[in-house]
Amino acid sequence: MKPPRILLLGHHGTPGAARAEALAFEVALPGVTTVVHALVVPDFWDGMQGDDWLNNASTRDDFARHLEGQIAAETRQQIEVLKARCAARGLGYQSLVAFGDPAEKLLAMAQESGAELVVIGPPRAKGEPGYRSRMKLETLAQGLACPLLIAR
Amino acid sequence: MIYTKKSPALLIIGVLMLCWGWLNTGGMVDGMQSWLQRSAYSDHLKVKEKFEAELRVATEVAKAEGKPAPQMSMPKSKFDKAKAGQARLAYIFGSAFVLFGLIVLAWRPKEGNVDYYLSVVPGFAFVFSIACAVRWWLDPVFANWGAMVKSSGTLSWDFAKIFNLNYVVLGIVIGIVIANVTRIPAWAASGVRTARLFLKTGVILLGALYSATELAQLGALSVVMIGIFVLGSVWLVLIMGRRMEAGNSMTGILSAGVGVCGVSAAVAAAPVVQARPIDIAYTIGTILLWGVGCMFIFPTIGQMFGMGPVQFGAWAGTGILNSAQVAGAALAYDPTGIETLKVAEIFNITRVLFLPIIVVWLAAWYVKHEEGAERVALGEVLYSKFPVFVIGFLLMFLLSSTGMFTPAGHYQGKYFSGEQVKEDNLLRPKELRALEASLPVVKEAVQAQALKELIEKRKLSSRAQDDSLKYVARLKELDPLAKAAIEKASKAAWHDSRIIGAFRDWLAWLFSIGLTGLGMQITAKTIKQAGGKPLIIGGIVGTIKAVGSLIVVLLFVREFV
Repeated sequence: MKPPRILLLGHHGTPGAARAEALAFEVALPGVTTVVHALVVPDFWDGMQGDDWLNNASTRDDFARHLEGQIAAETRQQIEVLKARCAARGLGYQSLVAFGDPAEKLLAMAQESGAELVVIGPPRAKGEPGYRSRMKLETLAQGLACPLLIAR
Repeated sequence: MIYTKKSPALLIIGVLMLCWGWLNTGGMVDGMQSWLQRSAYSDHLKVKEKFEAELRVATEVAKAEGKPAPQMSMPKSKFDKAKAGQARLAYIFGSAFVLFGLIVLAWRPKEGNVDYYLSVVPGFAFVFSIACAVRWWLDPVFANWGAMVKSSGTLSWDFAKIFNLNYVVLGIVIGIVIANVTRIPAWAASGVRTARLFLKTGVILLGALYSATELAQLGALSVVMIGIFVLGSVWLVLIMGRRMEAGNSMTGILSAGVGVCGVSAAVAAAPVVQARPIDIAYTIGTILLWGVGCMFIFPTIGQMFGMGPVQFGAWAGTGILNSAQVAGAALAYDPTGIETLKVAEIFNITRVLFLPIIVVWLAAWYVKHEEGAERVALGEVLYSKFPVFVIGFLLMFLLSSTGMFTPAGHYQGKYFSGEQVKEDNLLRPKELRALEASLPVVKEAVQAQALKELIEKRKLSSRAQDDSLKYVARLKELDPLAKAAIEKASKAAWHDSRIIGAFRDWLAWLFSIGLTGLGMQITAKTIKQAGGKPLIIGGIVGTIKAVGSLIVVLLFVREFV
């Protein structure tokens, strides 16, 4: 298999994403491959104010700003970490951030970046910490125009 | 950003509502309505029968006297009033929706306030039309099904009553289904978010329905119950969180959510304890899961224990973690009256008044335990978290206390006085005999005495007697005629003004719209985030709180208001 020029890596800092990162580094070729770091902020955050109705608008705004700030900080940190690791391996790096359904957004990112290979982590095992936001593998596999690698 | 989405949906909703009004006015859906509004229709038949008999007699008398047949019009029955009420609402809102629907289609929106406010109307119409469909169709359909299944012998119990499948529960369930299965349409998204405004307006309006005695007694009870259980559960979560090494942020946000008022408290506390996204997701998921479950379980348990409005309101107001579900459970338990809601909302208000204090406590606790935590201005937190709508509630209570909305002497129990009760409203011999026959069933001395006095005077004489007889009316062994007699006597003693009657009706609509809209903001994706240590700690403390408050309520709380 020829090393991909554009490798789309779904990575959001979980243990599964770390395995995907290791796999991506195995198939990537320094000087040839650019890793496109796909970060999807899942759309369940939309409903995070739930059915709160007692708070004033200012309290809800404070909460929304706090949550957005926290998610943005986590996202920035993940970008910095992966960027440094790619640089250390002589790989190109680019990041794409989106909000929505993970599978749908990953498909859009693959198309936008012209990815030749997509690498993602395995579904999160039961009991492993992290968000309950499963990637719809069927949607992803059927929609991609390039090979998909899933780390074990 | 442009909020208004061009869509014919609002216009269609408006036209459909106008059609429903027209069908009702023209009597074209009387067949269907007679099945839906069974009790009102049976009243209609009685009124019609009585009217026809009176007309026959009057005609015969006139004929005997050689006079022309009299012109008489049939008095309006409950059925006529119900249909007219539906038609009136359908015409008012249908016309408004058609007008705004045309504006939405014709106007080219520009960024600004007009666009924002206009974008709210389709969503409101969406929620309102669902609330109408649920109140006018689904609620009676389920009530009829429940009764039919029971009377056919398929089930020995009324499933609609046991599972509280009334307009409140059905509205919330439909809201949840729409949000999670079909998704909220883009044109309705802005308006659906205004649901909380309707609930707050409902609570403000509710302020007009309390007497000073009620407010004082319920307020004192709620402060004691909430004080013990809120402070107790906040403290317990803080202890368990540290023992289980859940992290200070997670422990802080969870203690607010589990202890005070669910999602609202978690939202208020998250910034001050610097909660991380994972803490927020786990906690809010856990609270929503728990809250939705409780909303269905609490009313059924309440029915099993035969709780009265004060007992159930106090229990739901203390034991249910999430404030929206407190209102939902109270209305699910008692959908026709609002006595349970009145009690539960006092507890909700007490909880929300505790919220700024708890947030300040958590802010101080977090700074003390978390290395490098930023200090927050405690005074500013207290000020910014104060629930402004509570002022509206108090204002309505004060206005009501001046007698602005009620007939003079209403809250003093004017109609306990013998001179004020009409002969028609006094108990009849048949009813008195049923009450006498029921005396052996009543074991409590105070209640037996209250019943004897009722038999003697044929009417209620005091608020205390009314309270005692409310217990008697709930006894399972009681003869239905005796129960009806007690209810009749109570009704004769309590006269609501037209304004208060209208307030009660508006309240039902406001809560119905608000809870349906809030149902649309409960997503399975959020609930699925429930997990980790918050699920364990929240589950344990939530169960202790629910069971503990149930025991306290059953042992110590009486229907004394």
